[in-house]
Amino acid sequence: MTDDLSAVLELREAQPVFEESGLTSIPYSLRLMPGDCLLIACRDSLRASRFADLCSGLVPLISGQVLCQGLDWHGLAETRAWALRGRIGRVMQQGAWIDLFGTDQNILIQQLHHTRTKTEAIVAEAIALSRRFGLPGLPTLNPARLTAADRAKAACVRAFMGEPRLLLLEDPVDLETADMMTAFLAELTAARERGCGVIWFSREPDLWRGYNAAGTQRLRLLDEGLMPMKQVM
Amino acid sequence: MKDELPFYRRFLLRLGALTRRQLRFTLMLVGASWGVLREACRPTSWRRTVIFEFKSTLRQAAGGGLFSTLFTAALTGFGIVAQAIYWLGIAGMADTTDSLLATVLVREIAPVLVGIILLGRSAMLSLTQLGQLTIGGELRALQAQGVDPFLVLVMPRALAMMLSSFTLGVVFSAISLSVGYGVCRFSSVITMPLWTFLYDIVGAMKPIDYLGIPLKLIISGFLLSLATQLTGLDATRSDSLATLLPRGFARGIMVIMVVNVVLGVTVA
Repeated sequence: MTDDLSAVLELREAQPVFEESGLTSIPYSLRLMPGDCLLIACRDSLRASRFADLCSGLVPLISGQVLCQGLDWHGLAETRAWALRGRIGRVMQQGAWIDLFGTDQNILIQQLHHTRTKTEAIVAEAIALSRRFGLPGLPTLNPARLTAADRAKAACVRAFMGEPRLLLLEDPVDLETADMMTAFLAELTAARERGCGVIWFSREPDLWRGYNAAGTQRLRLLDEGLMPMKQVM
Repeated sequence: MKDELPFYRRFLLRLGALTRRQLRFTLMLVGASWGVLREACRPTSWRRTVIFEFKSTLRQAAGGGLFSTLFTAALTGFGIVAQAIYWLGIAGMADTTDSLLATVLVREIAPVLVGIILLGRSAMLSLTQLGQLTIGGELRALQAQGVDPFLVLVMPRALAMMLSSFTLGVVFSAISLSVGYGVCRFSSVITMPLWTFLYDIVGAMKPIDYLGIPLKLIISGFLLSLATQLTGLDATRSDSLATLLPRGFARGIMVIMVVNVVLGVTVA
């Protein structure tokens, strides 16, 4: 664990604009410390996606603040905001893949864009991660031509690339891809030990049943806002 | 609330709304042009992803459009250059051939035809790709990763198209004149060497043409790319390829014609 005491992500009474986000326009508050994990149950994948957008500073606010690594998204210069988003690893459900590029480019683009790490080193990291998630190597086919299970694995590879500071994971594992749960939890634990904050959205809270690591909170994302969730052991 | 406003303010409100609605796309085009130029001047903009997109667009537009340009240029050389040389010779006006070819072909026809080739081969492809990304919400995936679509897609594509337009324009002019010369030489209408023929045409160009012709090619390629890309990025959920493609084509043709007419009148 790191000794960093500033929150990786903090929502201070952040009230999104409904027309822009589709999220209920009520104040949301949360505080995610380095290495912490928030498990958020949400039946509506679009709502989870919009909430992740809110955390990434992509949704305008009526009032309140959203801070990432202590920096207020709405006070940041545009170039710094793009750079800060480059430190977020994300598994998306809506429009997740750019069909113009192969899956490999989709996986590599964030690191190629935001870092000066040698391309060979980035590719090597992607290959190693792909193998850990059960892929034979870095997939080069167009994302639309991969199976749903391989796409889910590739999405995890993309999210964990480059040691992100914050992970926003929208249904990274579901019942169909539960076979990669062991690899996923291993990477998740390693990321948390590096000080990465994690928000894991899921439509199937049963998937978390065995996950009781320290520093984990469970919430439910409803129309009324974020509600605490009773932990089922 | 609006009813409480005095008449003149209501009039101004409607006039302003109408003007903004009509000029919206033009203003977007101006803003995006400035944005591209500003970003292009920043060394930090030229990241690996941007350079990759620039190279692939350059390959697609200039490399992919080369054969179409060569073919169109050969047809133009056969249809316009050879005919002009032949009929001007018959009419006893052979002395005006060089200035006529420089004026009509190099200055007027080449930028328009190259613009149309680029529109059909590359700009419409960009429009389709960006339109589908916008409608499918996939641009959000890039934004969520901190990758600015304007920097990674729009800027390199606009600059690559600008460079392609200039390159293909020069190739078009050289090939059409050479083919026209070849046809006339083959039918013994002219007997001078090719270099003398080209030298005479270059000599018939005015100094301002050396600025005006490249400007026409560069600006029309740049604005053509931006206009079609912005049409794709401006797509709404109610849009489909059936609505986007005709809109993008109309805007592309409009840009080519406006740039050529305006520069034709003001510069060359």
